[in-house]
Amino acid sequence: FRLNIEGLLVYFPYDYIYPEQYSYMLELKRTLDAKGHGVLEMPSGTGKTISLLSLIVAYQRAFPLDVTKLIYCSRTVPEIEKVVEELRKLMEFYAKETGEVNNFLALSLSSRKNLCIHPEIIHANIVVYSYHYLLDPKIADLVSKELAKKSVVVFDEAHNIDNVCIDSMSVNITRRTLDRCQNNVDTLQNTIHKIKETDAAKLREEYRRLVEGLKEANVARETDIYLANPVLPDEVLQEAVPGSIRTAEHFVGFLRRFLEYLKARLRVQHVVQESAPQFLKDIFDKVCIDRKPLRFCAERLQSLLRTLEIADIADFSAVTLISNFATLVSTYSQGFTIIIEPFEDRTPTIANPVLHFSCMDPSIAIKPVFQRFQSVVITSGTLSPLDIYPRILDFRPVTMASFTMTLARTCLCPLIVGRGNDQVALSSKFETREDFAVIRNYGNLLLEMSAVVPDGIVAFFTSYVYMENIVASWYEQGILENIQKNKLIFIETQDAAETSMALEKYQEACENGRGAILLSVARGKFTILARLEYLRDQFQIRENDFLTFDAMRHAAQCVGRAIRGKTDYGLMIFADKRYARSDKRGKLPRWIQEHINDGSLNLTVDEAVQLSKHFLRQMAQPFRQEDQLGLSLLTLEQLQSEEMLQKISQMAHQT
Amino acid sequence: MDEEPERAKRWEGGYERTWEVLKEDESGSLKATVEEILYQSKRKRVTQSHAQVRLGMMRHLYVVIDCSRSMEDQDLKPNRLTSTLKLMEGFIDEYFDQNPISQVGIITTKNKRAEKLTELAGNPKKHIAALKKAVDSSCVGEPSLYNSLRLAIQTLKHMPGHTSREILIILSSLTTCDPANICELIKTLKSLKVRVSVIGLSAEVRVCTVLTRETGGSYHVILDESHFKELLMHHVKPPPASFSSESSLIRMGFPQHTVTSLSDQDVKPSFSMSHLDSGGGPALTLGGYFCPQCQAKYTELPVECKVCGLTLVSAPHLARSFHHLFPLQAFIESPADNYQQNKFCQACQGQLKDKNVLACPLCCSVFCGECDLFIHESLHCCPCCIHNRTAT
Repeated sequence: FRLNIEGLLVYFPYDYIYPEQYSYMLELKRTLDAKGHGVLEMPSGTGKTISLLSLIVAYQRAFPLDVTKLIYCSRTVPEIEKVVEELRKLMEFYAKETGEVNNFLALSLSSRKNLCIHPEIIHANIVVYSYHYLLDPKIADLVSKELAKKSVVVFDEAHNIDNVCIDSMSVNITRRTLDRCQNNVDTLQNTIHKIKETDAAKLREEYRRLVEGLKEANVARETDIYLANPVLPDEVLQEAVPGSIRTAEHFVGFLRRFLEYLKARLRVQHVVQESAPQFLKDIFDKVCIDRKPLRFCAERLQSLLRTLEIADIADFSAVTLISNFATLVSTYSQGFTIIIEPFEDRTPTIANPVLHFSCMDPSIAIKPVFQRFQSVVITSGTLSPLDIYPRILDFRPVTMASFTMTLARTCLCPLIVGRGNDQVALSSKFETREDFAVIRNYGNLLLEMSAVVPDGIVAFFTSYVYMENIVASWYEQGILENIQKNKLIFIETQDAAETSMALEKYQEACENGRGAILLSVARGKFTILARLEYLRDQFQIRENDFLTFDAMRHAAQCVGRAIRGKTDYGLMIFADKRYARSDKRGKLPRWIQEHINDGSLNLTVDEAVQLSKHFLRQMAQPFRQEDQLGLSLLTLEQLQSEEMLQKISQMAHQT
Repeated sequence: MDEEPERAKRWEGGYERTWEVLKEDESGSLKATVEEILYQSKRKRVTQSHAQVRLGMMRHLYVVIDCSRSMEDQDLKPNRLTSTLKLMEGFIDEYFDQNPISQVGIITTKNKRAEKLTELAGNPKKHIAALKKAVDSSCVGEPSLYNSLRLAIQTLKHMPGHTSREILIILSSLTTCDPANICELIKTLKSLKVRVSVIGLSAEVRVCTVLTRETGGSYHVILDESHFKELLMHHVKPPPASFSSESSLIRMGFPQHTVTSLSDQDVKPSFSMSHLDSGGGPALTLGGYFCPQCQAKYTELPVECKVCGLTLVSAPHLARSFHHLFPLQAFIESPADNYQQNKFCQACQGQLKDKNVLACPLCCSVFCGECDLFIHESLHCCPCCIHNRTAT
């Protein structure tokens, strides 16, 4: 049906609307009106995607000059496909309602099989693709460079966006990378030799171009045609390529020297951590490589590859990686750290040295996006606490809002279990991890829950090591055996194939009534200490705050999966007494927080079991759509009533 | 809430009061309480059942009772098994009272196996005796949905098409241990038009949701013992027959009870056919019902003649099934304010306290909600209408 949102006519392709969708659209419209950035949190399963799409499309139609394009970024291929599905529905609805054939071109870049080449992007009104197309400088350069400034960028499922930013800027170099790079360099040299014999003019032409410098790119940036590439710093554009790497042979020689240096660095016996300036000083002392040519490395390689007319760029990924690393390390003196480790975490005996060049500042990767586009919207089901995202990503939002789910029945039941039946405090904190009583109590909790919860349970651990320890001692105590009388047990491992198999079987066991428990790890990657220090220095975020934030967002993300829609229901059990403290609890999303009452704090295992039993019985009572109508599901007439509008405006929670 | 009588064992009741606390918390918010929703659905059920539908009057029902380890749980007093079996006895009585020409069989499942407690038969006494005996059996292992359904199908699939094929599962466990993929079995059930309904004793299980949805049955989870009883009694009413079920004329015999006086010297005591297999009991009787077709003797009705297969019923039996076909009209719900002059319920004579009252569309008498349910579910006729009729 059609909605009127502060004067904007929005076509909404469903017969009913949730009140929070309405207020979500309201906030979104205000963000667009202000041409600013926004952070919006709304629980999963309340129709974020369709609200976003229908509002922005309506906005585009109403103000075609203000907003020319919608760039919708999501995380995974299935999510992107879901977005496209919703979009299709919306477009069909438009066609039906307005009767005109719409001239909207929507484009989705999900996987390699429907990859598209960029001229079309320029004309599309809506582009749906993965984060990486915008954030990863290597890909962004190819795909997103020419996107218009007046676009609206939406990052969906953005609770991990800082990690994506960091990953996209970080480089990991192993021996294998270096070996492949060595091959690349050899190939380059051979090709140069061949060309020199056949077409020396070509190389001369390139030389001339390089003398003039990267003027073109600079002009482009100043006239604001392209999305800035963080790998291509401003200084590089203003200067000519330094003489030492101007000719092709010299450049290849330069690469060789750099490569040898890296190889030497990888021969370490213990973990080394150093900053970028330290690294630069060392490289200057050892192999006399200056900062300046390093900085031009990435651009120089691109130019060479273009000149040599090498078709298959993919083969040269290793050398591209190394040259990007060279540029980054010489450009950013802050925000990055270099860690060289002699072994991998999993195999501490086999030497497999890795050079991690890790980005600690997510704002570097995302900065061009915020600068370039007039509105960037960050949204997810779990973004609490909202204020931390603008801080770590370094931007100033015009709207920040968290919406809750209006429910006709209390369909989620968060319980905080703080004690075992023997009153021993339940906590996974480091000091008590090895405590026998604590492990046993966790086992008891899971055992008791497996007897009262139907179908599936997912239990999250903080790390693989911790999970392995616990499962081993549960096995010795016979707890696993007892659990298996109620449900099958599946364990997530670090092996992707094994895990997907386990997942599949888990799902099957849930479907056919056998029931299953999945033991899973909430945090695969542990936060590097260096990043904490950096955050403290740069953004005045205390280490503890960030750790709590990180832990709580993982927790929220885990339990958030229990609910996928308003007819679903789920138990969320926080089994750590620390969750009961208000400073931790306060960091959970508002839609979870509001269901935690005093009666569900610091429970014993038995109490939690009784509460769960009762909750599950209540939830199993028949529940139909009509029961939701008027409360959490609105028809157009209901939405237009004065009273409801008032209620909605009260609901929107401004921060 | 402390007005509850002191229990001999306080600790047994200890947790129940935390539930009540929880209920209070919920009512403070804007969400409708679950109770309200329940009441609505109860009302709906009454009104719903009054649509003009064909009902499957001849029912073949298998009741599957979970006897797994979880039946030892003491949330129903004294435990789930005892409580269930007791309610089942009531159910069997009620079932044959309302469906005199139907049959029931009982299956139990435990330890991954399913066993027939009683065969499909129309004699309530036998079932009740078996249920009484089952109280002492031990509850072990997991149930098996697959095996129980399979066992039930084996008999049900041979039942004639004009009768209903139903399975009612009382499931306490949250897990089922199956030898094969149950989805295939669900398809088979669907093709055989077997309707499967489930009453869960602990929580909603996904596979049961699918099973009942696919086969057109109902799925409910109990809140407490009285709710359990209510759900069970819901299954006493014959379900609407599916459109695809065959219609056919059924031959039935209406034998008269012949009592021969002891003074008649020619009469010899004889065996009843129904005693042949059961043994025991007073075997030789003088009078009885004689099949009009083959003259076999039975002491009880309704029964299917063991010799010629004719269904033998008595006229009152059929008459009792009558109200299913022509149910009492739904009463009209309206706010109590409209009936200022009637402050009392015409049935129980209690004061009308509810927001809404119900009025009979024919005689306009006013009733309270509880009496409305009673009239529609048990009496099947409006007491005031009958009163008026006799008065005039």
